[in-house]
Formats: sequence, C-alpha cells, structure tokens
Amino acid sequence: MDCIQTEMTLYEKLQILSDAAKYDVACTSSGVDRRGDGNGMGNCSRAGICHSFSADGRCISLLKILFTNECIYDCKYCVNRSSNDVVRTSFTPDDICTLTMEFYRRNYIEGLFLSSGILKSPDYTMELLYVTLYKLRHVYNFQGYIHVKAIPGADTRLIRLTGFLADRMSVNVELPTAEGLRRLAPHKSRKNILTPMRFVQDGMRQNREEITLYRNAPRFVPAGQSTQMIIGATQDTDYHILSTAEALYKKFDLKRVFYSAFVPVNRDSVFPAVSHDGPPLLREHRLYQADWLLRFYHFEAAELLDEKNPNFNIFLDPKCCWALKHLELFPVEINRAEYRMLLRVPGIGCKSASRIVKARRMGNLQFDDLRKIGVVLKRALYFITCSGKMMCPTKIEEDYITRNLLNTKERIPEGAGSLNYRQLTLFDDMDPEKARLTFQ
Amino acid sequence: MKQVYICHDTVTGIYSALYDAWKESRNREAGIELRGKTQQQLFCEYRIVEECEKKVPAVQRMIKRYMGYNTYWDFYLAILSDDNEKGDAVFRTMQEARRIADSTRIMDHLGCPAVAKVFELSRRVSNEAHIYKEVIRFRELENGVLFSEISPRTKILACIAEHFADRFPLENWMIYDKTHKAFLAHRAGAECRLICGEELNKESASRISANQKEYEELWKAFFESIAVKERENPKLQRTHLPKRYRREMTEFS
Ligand code: SF4
Repeated sequence: MDCIQTEMTLYEKLQILSDAAKYDVACTSSGVDRRGDGNGMGNCSRAGICHSFSADGRCISLLKILFTNECIYDCKYCVNRSSNDVVRTSFTPDDICTLTMEFYRRNYIEGLFLSSGILKSPDYTMELLYVTLYKLRHVYNFQGYIHVKAIPGADTRLIRLTGFLADRMSVNVELPTAEGLRRLAPHKSRKNILTPMRFVQDGMRQNREEITLYRNAPRFVPAGQSTQMIIGATQDTDYHILSTAEALYKKFDLKRVFYSAFVPVNRDSVFPAVSHDGPPLLREHRLYQADWLLRFYHFEAAELLDEKNPNFNIFLDPKCCWALKHLELFPVEINRAEYRMLLRVPGIGCKSASRIVKARRMGNLQFDDLRKIGVVLKRALYFITCSGKMMCPTKIEEDYITRNLLNTKERIPEGAGSLNYRQLTLFDDMDPEKARLTFQ
Repeated sequence: MKQVYICHDTVTGIYSALYDAWKESRNREAGIELRGKTQQQLFCEYRIVEECEKKVPAVQRMIKRYMGYNTYWDFYLAILSDDNEKGDAVFRTMQEARRIADSTRIMDHLGCPAVAKVFELSRRVSNEAHIYKEVIRFRELENGVLFSEISPRTKILACIAEHFADRFPLENWMIYDKTHKAFLAHRAGAECRLICGEELNKESASRISANQKEYEELWKAFFESIAVKERENPKLQRTHLPKRYRREMTEFS
C-alpha cells in the first residue's frame, strides 16, 4: 500500500480523492462572518461565496476532497467500500494544506471540505483530520472556511478538538430509516451516527455560553452542523425522509439537511430497480422545496404528507398541493391576513409576504401592487382577494384550480424534470393522484 | 431654460457636476450629461463643469448628512455604473429628497422614476461586484505578484478592494480592469490603491511563476472530477455562470 501512495503524484491523488468525494452534496461556505486578522490568509462571509459551477450545474465553493479513499467499511452505496476494487490513495496533511492555500490564493475556492474513508479505525481517521486542520489553521494561518466530517465512532475528545478548528461539521445520516441503514451500511448504526451529532450540538450550546462570558473564547463550529440523506437507494417514502429531516432540525438544531439523488455507483441487488431516467432529480427538487417550507414557512412535515399520501406530486410543488387540500382556508384577504397565512399562499414567498405586510400599512393594496411586490399572480390568484375582490372570476374548486395551475409552467431547475415535462405535455389533463405512482 | 452640466465619466467628474448643479440649479430644471455622450437638445443651456477633487468630499458630506449613509452608498454605486443618465438620475433623486418629509428615506420612494433608476443602477453595480468576488482568478507572476485581468461592465474595482485586502493582507496582488483601463493594486501590509488610465504591460503580466502552470492543472483536474456525470447539465451551468465570465476563468480556458 505504502509504495503505491509514495509513487502517486499530487495530481493523481487529487483526481482520485475529489472524484470519490463528489457525491457529498454540501458545498456551501455560509453561516459565519469572519474578518482576517491581518496575519494570515482568508476570511468568511455569512452568505457564502460560490466560485464556479461544475458541468452538472452544481456550485463549487470548497475544495471538496477525501483525506483517503481507503475504508474498512462496506457501505453498499459507496464507491469507496472495502469490497470495491479501486485504486486507493491518501493525502498527507501537508498535501491538503498546500492545495488549500494555493487554490485559495488564486481565488479558486472559499475553503476546504474535508471528508474521509475510515482508515484503520474511526479514531485514527479523526486524528488525521484533526492534524490536517491544526496545521492549516496554525502553521499555514488559514482563516477561510473549513467544513469537516465528524467520524462516527471516533473519540469525542478528538471531535471536540477538531470542532474548534472548523466552521462547520457534519455527520451524514445517509438513509432516512434505521432499517435502510442496517441493510445498506451494516457497519453504521443510527446511534453511532447520532452520537457525534448530539455531541457537536452540545458543544455549540456550551460554546455560546462561553462566548457570552468572555468574548474571545475560541469558537466551536460557528457555522453549525449539517447532514445529508441519499434519496432513492431504498424504498423509503418522501414522508419518511421529510419527517427525519424535521426531527433533525428540531432535535439537533441542524443548519441544513441536504438531499442527494442516488447515483448507483455499485451494482447490487439490494437497490430498488434502477430507472433509466438517471438519478431522481425531480424528487430531490421536491424535497428541497419541502425542506424550505419547513425551515422558512412554518410548515410541519405532517401537513405536507402522511401515511396515505407519502410521496410528493411530481406535477405540483408541495405548497400548491397543500393549498389545494385546504381550499376551505382560501381565499385570504391580502390587506388583512396574518403574515403566517400569507406565507402559505402559493405564489407568495417570504420576501413578498413581508413586503405586503409593510406596504399595506401605507394603504390598501391592489393586484397591481402585488405584481410589483413580486407576487406570482398566475399562481396566487385562486387563493387571494384584494379588498374583497378576486382578480378574475374563478371557481374555488380543487379540480378546476389544479388544471389551471398545471397549465402555468412551474420553474423547475434546468434538467431536473426533462422527462416529466414531456409527460406533462403528453397527458395534459392527467390526474395528479395517479401521477404520483411514477415515483415508485 | 434647462441647464445641463457636462462632465467626464469619472467619480470626480460626476461629483463635481453634482456640486455645481446643486449649488446653482437645485430649484429648477437641470441635468447632468457625460462628455462625448450628450444628446444636444434645443432649449438647453450647456455648461462644462470645472472638475476638482475638493468638490467631491463636499457633496459627499452633504449627501451623508441629509440623506443618510445608505443613500450615499447607493449614489456612489450608481455613479460607478455604465449608464449615461446616472448623473442625471442622482441629481433628480437629490431634488426629490427635498420634497419629502424624511430625506433619509428617499431610496424607499421607488415610485419616483429617478429614485427607481438610482436603485436599479446601484443594484447593477453591487451585483456585478459580487460576481467578481466569485469569478476573479489570480495567476502568480514570476515576481510573486498575484495578478488578475477582468472585463466588468461597471467600475467595480473600488467595491471589491476591501474584500480582497482583508482576504490577502500579506500578498502583493493586482487586478486590472480591461474595460476601464484601471488597476487595483495591493502591496503586502499596505492599503489598496486605485490607479486609472494606465495601460497594462502585457509582457510582464505574462511571465508566470514556475509553479503557476502546475496549480492551474491541479485546479482543472479538480474541476473535471468533481462533476457527477450522471447529473451533467450544461444549461443549468450556463444559467448560474454566463459564458461572458468564463473567458477569464482558469477552469474554462
Ligand atoms: S464509511 Fe461507508 S460511506 Fe464512508 S467511505 Fe467507507 S464505505 Fe464509503
């Protein structure tokens, strides 16, 4: 093994270890504002900065790499699993520091995203990550963004030390249910994954108290933690996935849950039949929309889906679906409705809702004002009145509105629904209830 | 008769014009036009502004004091934009501010066309500045200087100076704006300087350091391997990153 490693050039290592890291979707550099102290290199901006977009249209913000693609585990969905015959290699801490610094100086990246396969043991691996980060922060004086993985099963003291050097930490829950995990990642367990997550959460809480006591206390994971779930590698429904996400937000104060459409890199009979449409991108998109509803629109997972309707509709976004099921609450009067109710109207986003609340203090709003404010009227018109009047005569009836909403093209990210778009035009009048089945 | 002030398309030029216009014509119809881009109209009296550095802080102070810091900043950004009517829009916005009760809220009055224009221009510049914080690529020259060439539509150099100075305090770096022939230069441990009207010495800018090629290749390799083939999506990539920025980006060259 060693001789392979020493023979390999930095170029080859980078190719292998970035290729192996690419299925991790998180690449944001957001969540923390930090100015440089003048003695090193780098700073952070709260909104995050994207530096490029790769051929798949995803943002590149961080140098996303594995420390090593060696792994003692054998997770079924992973390229690096021990049973795969792939070229193995590892960086050294200095390799990683040099790459990060030299890329950062040229403004290619915002920082480092460091993950790893499990080399020898969780502790051994976590220590390597720690040593790398320590060097990067204290020898190379790097002050840009660092996102690092906490390795499940590693000594919490190692995780704690690492957390003081990182901006964000994440542990991937990988699969929405414990059962899925048991089948696909036999060496991992729910408990094993949630323990470091809880630990980081407690660490952050404690750190917040320390910072109120003395301002210069070292910061522990200031940009918070995130996690990721693979979508479509098991039979789990959207309801399972969203409920898990909700529980993670509530119980673990996560900053973000990411969803990653499953790309079958290994042939294995445990996976559901692979569809020919490629990874389930539209499904991933719907989950992100619903996630948004949980985080910013005060929705609960159980309002959007339930055991009887466990999957999102491919034709209509989750908010429209919810509204159609609750027509008794509509139409709402724009000039009087509470902010939270405005948020629930299809076609009204967070920004428009707060603009409405501000603007109506000055006087009654008309439909024209709403357009200027940024409300998407062609979706909202079925659900609102302005001074008691609807924009145009319309029936408040599920079928009728559904048909009309389906005719207003939703903006789906390019490519996410190419196949489904074709379906849409083929079966213009298709019953959305039936359409749901195509997911399975 | 409408009084029109003519000035150069520079920060000093436009603030000088604002100074004169405010002093002499704030109570009547007046306008500001850029040299070489005027539209001669009948019934207008044209006057060439005497441009001078001292007028700049004088107007700026007045704007900050009566219209607040945020308004001042919107004006400043608008003046860096590539619109020929920017001086005019700022001047009319200042006139409008006198008509309302709380002049510091002037930028909320988007119903006024001049205010809407200043708002739009200010956003145009700050958006472009933000994009360049993302897409600027430095190359290391023989002498260790990090060097970058860009072609922005608006004069964003002043808006990104602070960002890069804070980020690379110990580096010598330089950004050259090809469109407006201006340099932003930073010496390790010192302040940034903005140098206008200088030509680039192409020869010395092309002498890269011994390591530069290697890191370019490493970056390109990373850029290739980080994309998931099964999700390939050039259209999405193009919406996020329009082609015109790519010419100057290492990974696309
Ligand atoms: S632990 Fe599992 S997911 Fe992580 S690298 Fe090893 S095989 Fe892959």
